[in-house]
Amino acid sequence: MQKYISQQNLTTLLDILIAQGVRVVAPRMNAGTPLYEPLESAGDMVTDQLPRRSAKEAFFPVCEDIMTYEKEGQKVTVTDIDPARFPETLLFGVRPCDASAIPVLDAVFSWDYKDEFFLERRRKTTIVGLACTTADDACFCTAVGLSPSDTKGSDLFLTPLEGGGYACETFSDKGEALINAHSSLFSVPSGAAALPLAEPQTEKFDLKKVKAWLDEHFEDPLWDGAAVRCVGCGACAFVCPACHCFDIVDEGTEKAGTRRKNWDACGFWKFTHHASGHNPRDGQPKRYRNRIMHKFKYYDDKFGQTLCTGCGRCIRVCPVGIDIAGIVEEISKKQE
Amino acid sequence: MPLTSQPIDTSIYSAITDAIKTEAERILTEGQVTAVVGYAAARRKGSAQPIIITEATDAAKLIFTAACVNNLAVYLTKAKKEVPKSGKIGIVVKGCDLKALTGLMGESQLKREDLYLIGVPCAGVLGSTVQPATGLTTDTIAPKCTECDAHLPTGCDFVPLQTPVTPELEQKYATEIARLEALTPAERWAYWKEQFSKCIKCYACRQVCPFCFCEQCLCDRNKPQMVDTTPRPAGNTAWHIVRAMHLAGRCAGCAECERVCPMDIPLNLLNRKMAKELKELYDHEAGFEVLDKGPLNSYTDKDDQSFIK
Repeated sequence: MQKYISQQNLTTLLDILIAQGVRVVAPRMNAGTPLYEPLESAGDMVTDQLPRRSAKEAFFPVCEDIMTYEKEGQKVTVTDIDPARFPETLLFGVRPCDASAIPVLDAVFSWDYKDEFFLERRRKTTIVGLACTTADDACFCTAVGLSPSDTKGSDLFLTPLEGGGYACETFSDKGEALINAHSSLFSVPSGAAALPLAEPQTEKFDLKKVKAWLDEHFEDPLWDGAAVRCVGCGACAFVCPACHCFDIVDEGTEKAGTRRKNWDACGFWKFTHHASGHNPRDGQPKRYRNRIMHKFKYYDDKFGQTLCTGCGRCIRVCPVGIDIAGIVEEISKKQE
Repeated sequence: MPLTSQPIDTSIYSAITDAIKTEAERILTEGQVTAVVGYAAARRKGSAQPIIITEATDAAKLIFTAACVNNLAVYLTKAKKEVPKSGKIGIVVKGCDLKALTGLMGESQLKREDLYLIGVPCAGVLGSTVQPATGLTTDTIAPKCTECDAHLPTGCDFVPLQTPVTPELEQKYATEIARLEALTPAERWAYWKEQFSKCIKCYACRQVCPFCFCEQCLCDRNKPQMVDTTPRPAGNTAWHIVRAMHLAGRCAGCAECERVCPMDIPLNLLNRKMAKELKELYDHEAGFEVLDKGPLNSYTDKDDQSFIK
């Protein structure tokens, strides 16, 4: 289904949904930093900057409670968190590099174990993607086979038009249902030209070649060169739309507490630290190797997909300038 | 204070780059050092990254530009086990970075005779929120550089003969601390609560800090667990307060914690506030001389006793 919506009607639509109690998550400023967060009003939305963290947290929050416990005498009561209480959500204004990561995450969260926390939020969320008109030299979505107008992962996709408003195209029943429920706010396609899209400059990678090299080079001097300067923080994994490792901890007292699920990162030394004291990944190059292997080999082996959408966030935030696009480019050249 | 953005002269950086290359090549060739830690150009336009070289032929890769933001002192600490530390090591240091090395010497982490210091006359580096190819101006300069008192590092083994020209700048931290001090405690608490709410516990602040060299950080312990590890209000607040207190009297303001925070939390404000307290209470400024014991590790009868009531 193809439609047009004006900027004003879009604001009206979001305000109606907020008033109806729908959780509308969209880019907004939080203490000076752009983040995908629930809006109180459509007017708070800021779509001209790539949010610092990806949209994955709409399904996979930084931290979430999964269970609580209480102990009284010898009696222990354990209460599960019920995913049924998660609210209906509209995830709006999602950049293609973020939206396209969500179907990639579906594969791992619905594999041998069905993660109801992720999946229930997925079921209850409609994703509205927004074509991207700004890129910097850290962006490389086109290098991994995506584009600033890629509709992967979006239920409804908006393209900003010359003269204002958006071209709307649906890609699922959820997207059609959203338009049908508010049909008076949408009109027939206007025929106006789309605003010029972003043009990431990185050359396209041959991901098959990259994987072929990775298949044979678990041990290679490249890893030292790439990551001897890595300081071992989790910034790259935490801002990544596709990284999905988590840790589970109990917090509270002997009498009562909560079991929580937190983002984790393979760059941390503790990530593979065994109870015995042994650490099979005993240095940053080995930890960084895992990051690249997971994204361009292991996930492909297991699910036939690449765990990187070229958003460039890890490049922008890395304290020591480790550049995943540069490293993948280097690997491509080695395989020639 | 000019209202509009003014360019800052970085023309000396190209001569400094040449001098660093020549000196690094010389000390590696002569075997005076086993490695040199410096900066090299990176893929993104105008960007730079830390590099550790061990061959004289690689000295040609070294640069100094306004994008050379890192405090390389972190690579000399025991926390960075991947970096070999056999023999004497050369390191490129700005004045602010040198203060960290001075502190580490005082804390018995480094010995002066194991270092070959290549000091950089520095007019300033870029702030973390601008693209690396941006020119250095009064707007794009890193906040720490607005309060710099170490444009010309002293006590180094080699410093290129250049003199940075630096305009008078509004002192970003002093201004912001004054603003926060004028707030009520409730308003100040609201400010920090909002800032800490963004923290995702990536620990980039800890990992780049030259003084976070503990073998095991208190915040990584789970038997017993001292600080909640989850990125929630309690654990986030505890972490940032523990961090600020542990750095009091030690942090000399390289501001790496703030530069690398992916959530833009103004962490160096906490460190600068602590530094201000240390100056007022003990007339102590970190990073200027090698001290066996900092003011918080020692007692004299001149110490302020007014808190005993």
